[in-house]
Parts: sequence; structure tokens; C-alpha cells
Amino acid sequence: MQVLITVLNGLALGAILFLIAVGLSLVFGIMDVLNLAHGAVYLIGAYTAVALFADDVTAGGFVLAVLAAAVAGALAGAALAGMSLPVRGHLDQALLTLGVALIVTEVMNAVFGTEVHAIPPPPGLDVSVGVFGQAYPVYRLVLVAVGAALALGLHLALERTRIGATLRAAVADRQMVEALGIPTRRLVVGVFAAGAALAAVGGVLAGPLLGAQPGLDDTVLLLALVVVVIGGLGSVRGALLGAVLVGQVQALGVALVPGAASFLLFAAMGAILLLRPAGLLPARGMAQA
Amino acid sequence: MDIHLSPPSKTILAIVTASLLTACSGSSISGQQTPQQAAGPLAIGLVVPLSGVYAPLGEDMTNGFKLYLDQHGGRLGGKEIALKSSDEGEGPQTGVPAATKLVTQDKAVAVAGIVNSATALGARNAFIESKVPLVIANAGANDVTAGASPYIWRTSFTNNDVAASLGAEVAEQAGDGSVYLIAPDYAAGKEMIGGFKKTFEAAGGKVAGESFTPFGTTKDFQPFLSTIKGSGAKAVFCFYSGAEAVGFVTQYAQFGLADDLPLYATGFLTEGSVLKAQGGAATGAQTSLHYSDQIDTPRNKEFVAAYQAAYNEPPTVFAVQAYDAAAVLDKAIAKAAAPTGEAIAKVIGEIGPIDSPRGQWSFDADHDPTQPYYLRKVEDRAGTLVNVVVKKLGQD
Repeated sequence: MQVLITVLNGLALGAILFLIAVGLSLVFGIMDVLNLAHGAVYLIGAYTAVALFADDVTAGGFVLAVLAAAVAGALAGAALAGMSLPVRGHLDQALLTLGVALIVTEVMNAVFGTEVHAIPPPPGLDVSVGVFGQAYPVYRLVLVAVGAALALGLHLALERTRIGATLRAAVADRQMVEALGIPTRRLVVGVFAAGAALAAVGGVLAGPLLGAQPGLDDTVLLLALVVVVIGGLGSVRGALLGAVLVGQVQALGVALVPGAASFLLFAAMGAILLLRPAGLLPARGMAQA
Repeated sequence: MDIHLSPPSKTILAIVTASLLTACSGSSISGQQTPQQAAGPLAIGLVVPLSGVYAPLGEDMTNGFKLYLDQHGGRLGGKEIALKSSDEGEGPQTGVPAATKLVTQDKAVAVAGIVNSATALGARNAFIESKVPLVIANAGANDVTAGASPYIWRTSFTNNDVAASLGAEVAEQAGDGSVYLIAPDYAAGKEMIGGFKKTFEAAGGKVAGESFTPFGTTKDFQPFLSTIKGSGAKAVFCFYSGAEAVGFVTQYAQFGLADDLPLYATGFLTEGSVLKAQGGAATGAQTSLHYSDQIDTPRNKEFVAAYQAAYNEPPTVFAVQAYDAAAVLDKAIAKAAAPTGEAIAKVIGEIGPIDSPRGQWSFDADHDPTQPYYLRKVEDRAGTLVNVVVKKLGQD
């Protein structure tokens, strides 16, 4: 029974990781930009929740925080896209986004202080229910549902809509899409904004698990990068598989081999890099790139 | 060629020139005069984290040290003090240079502070060699004061002592039930668990199992909490601080352990800003520490009131440790034959007991404090969570 609880918990972690990593993966896929400010955008979301929940959290307040974080994240993403589009070369882009991340997190330290902030779950979801005979927080069950719904929604949007088709084509070969007369600039900015909005929403939704504090942006960015490396670049399915795997490694792996807890995650990543350097499910056309 | 300067670059040039000039004049003064002949104020160094994950501790320690200075007219041992601060950062890479800079560059005759044990271990030799006393105001690793060098003193605690003080009490409260031990997988975690286990088992306590969680990267404690449940333990002893303390305590409640298994810890689990972040989940946790702002003595009440008035928040153990470091330097400088590092270090062992907000304490043979430890319990007092003092440990 304890194993089942742990598997369930791995799914909750995976849902959060998917939310954060999918934007990073798509932006890299379509723009070839490694956005090292992704963790900072996540932190913007988390501190949005801290700012709005100054006194007490209500269900409406939580929804409001999610929406506010989405808007803030989208704006930050659009700004980052505008800054990194003219910059060529991975190193320059990495330096640019890293610099932005440092400035943003330092500003947040100045505004919110360096202490650890807790973000409570919305009322009604802050209780525990019996699952397999053990107490389990309801909020984590909701996270699993949110993650599944988001994965399904993104999958449909990419596979069944015209924009989705264009986006997939742009990930595979952006020059060819432009040669066909479809402007990709707006698409690129849109993907950047949407990916950042998801990361910021992730900051609010993961709040009751991870809180908000300086340094969290690095932890989150690292986990998202591991997810992207394991899952493969530029694909929603890859991000989902990577997130679920990392979630399980963090939960089940730690429960089964507690002695190796510190390096299980990186052992998993190393194994994937050795066996399938492009990741488990890279976007079509990316595997050779 | 005519060089035309626009107004902004003129300003920049002026600033650069001015700062170069002051830097030069500064070094020429220190070159001509040795510190003890300087008529100016005596340089004292304070090295605490101003950035990184330990910054909240650094802020409390700065506040505590400055409060002592303010209460004594900016003087220690009757001498006017120029306080030089530097940022310890998160680890020894930043901390050791920050600490040694205070001696080599700022010519401090004594230095207080240091949160991180690795930093303290890395910096201690530099202080011993340059004959400047280092008064450690937090770092708890047992070995920091090893060898009892006349230049290394500690006003805080040792990991071993603060955990060991709780062992007998938990053994008594748990009775026949076994206790699970859990802490982060690094030096302090191991020393805390080691110190606790020794006195706990000596008092007849039974250990149900032990876990060490990856330090700094563990956000989700569920796998470990599940293991604790499965072990049949009747109580839990842990050591966590900062973000990990918040995560552990809230998840301990969320996964239903708080209802059945009493939680014991060293006091860092519920000290300062983390207690507010833990909220109701921390209620009932029992911890051992050498301070609580709830200690009911006139000395502490007066201190808490002064601290509250100055900084608008209650003092933490970190503030008291730094406050006491200032008190140690105050007494030692007053007693020293000359205001030099060597002379001050010589008399630190002779200053006698310190009348601290935490109660009276003095240095032992290892240069660590011999002090009272308190059993504290988290309770809700009029909507605010506080660490209520239950009793002094080891004195029923």
C-alpha cells in the first residue's frame, strides 16, 4: 500500500514538473533558445501568490493568483522573446537569459525579503483524505488531475488545430515554414509567452508544496532541464514522459533505495544520455538535429 | 587631439578619481600607523551571510550585534568601534575570503559571526596564524573549536550538545515506544542525530530507524514519511532548518503523522521566520534550544522589548548569539592590556560568566558555551505561534 501512495505522490510531482518543463521544451524546440530565466519566471508566479495571499487565502483569491501569474508570466515571456530573438548563438542567449534571471531574482529578494514564504492551499483543498488507508493531502490529488487535463489539452491543441500544426512544422524546420509564406515571428513570441505563463502558473500551483524563497528558481530550472533532457526536446509527449519519470524517480526511487537518494535523478539522466542522447520522445525532425 | 567629455562621463571620472584618492589615503594611514596607535575607532569585523539561503540568519545576527553596540553608545570595552561587515554568502568559497578580508584589509582586531560550519573550519587557521580572535556566533560543527586555540571561541552551541540535551527527556516521554530519527545528509545532520542518540539510548530509549535525506534538494518528504509510518515508531526526532524545516513540518501534518506521532527536534526547526511559514502545522512540536524569546526572566524581557522596539520583530536565537559575541568582545577589550588581537585573545578566557538573555553562561575548556538548554513547545498564543518554555532540560 505504501508503494501505491508513493507512486501517486510521484504523479503529483510529475504534474508540477510537466507544467514547468513543457514551456522550456517547446521554446527550445521552436526557437533554439535555452531560456535560463525559466526558473525566475516560475519564481515570479510563486511570489505573485505570496503578494496576493498576504492575510488569508480564499478559493477566489487562489484562482485570481493563478490568473495574475499567467498574465505576469506571459508578459515576462514576451519580453524575453523580444530580447532573445535578435541574439544569435547559444552562449549569447544563455548569458542573456541568465543575466535577466539574476536581475529578476535579486529584485524579488529586495521586495519580498530572503526568508521562506509558505503558500497555503485554497480552503477546501487543505485537508487530507484516506487513500489506500493512509492520510493523503487532497491538494496533491487535484494536482494530478490538473496535470492530466493540461497534458490532454496541449496534446489536442498541437495535434488537432491549425496553429498546432504550424507550430509542429516550425519545430521541425522553421526556415521551411517561413519559405511557405507563414510568418513565424508572432508564433515564436506566442509560444515563449505561453510557456512562461505555464511556468508562472506552476509557481502558484506548486506553492503549497514548495513555497517561495530565494534559490528555488535554480532548483526548479535544474529539474525542468533534467525533464527536457530525459523527455526529448520540443515535444509535449516527451515533456510529459520526462516529468512523470522524474516524478517517479524522486518519489519511488527515493523510497526504494534511500541510500542513493542524492544521485538517483542524475543517474537516470546519465543513463538516458548514454542510451538515447536525443531523449525518449524528441519532436519529429529534432532527433537528428 | 582634443578630448571632450560629456557631463555624465565627467561625473564618472570625478567619482572614480575621488574613490581612488580615498583608497590611497586610507592605505597610507594604515601603512604609517599600527592599529594600537591609531587614534581613530577600533575596527571590529562582523562576517554573516547577507545573501543566499542563510541571509535571514545574517540579518538577525547583524541586528543582535548592532543592538548591543547601540545599547553601549557604539563602544566595546570603552573604545569607540568601527564595525566592518562582510558577506559570508552560502558556503566556504565566499565565506572564507570574506572572513579573512576583515583581518587583512580592514585590519579588524577581532571578528565575530560565521553561520556555516564549513566556513568556520576553513577560516580558523587564518585567524590563528594572524593572531586575531574569531568569536563564532552560530556555526555548530563539533570540530570548529577543536584544540581550544586561544583565537577561536564560540558563543552559540555545538551540534552535539544541543541535540544531546533532549535525549533523556524524549526517552522518558516516549516510554516503551520507539523513536524514528531523521535529518539531512550532511555533517550537521549526522552530528545532531549522533548527539541525540547517545543520551537517548543511555536513558533507555529505543530507536525505530534512521533516515538521512539529501541535503538542500529534498522538497518532498513523502517517501521518508511513509517509511516512518511503516516502522512502527511512536515518535520522531528530527533536525531541519530553513526551507527544509518548513517543508518537513507542513508535510508531517499533511500526511497525517502529526496526529499520532509527537515531533521532537533541535530548536532550529521552529526558530524565527520559519515558524510563521509553518503555521498551525508546527503546533505541539517540542524542541531543545539555548534560547526562546518566551524565557520569563527580567533580563530577557528587557532584551526582547529593546529588540522589538529597534527592529519591530521578536529576537531569535541567532540574534542572541551575536548579541553575546558583542558582550564577550566588550568584556575582553575592557580587560585587554592593549587593543590588539593578541592581547584581546589572551583575556577572553578570563572574562567570567556572561549575563545573557538566554541565562548566565560561560566558556568551557573547549571554548564552547556551558549554558542552559530549554525544552520548548510550539503553542498558539493569541493568534501568534510561539516557542513556549516548558522547562530547563536536565534539571527537573
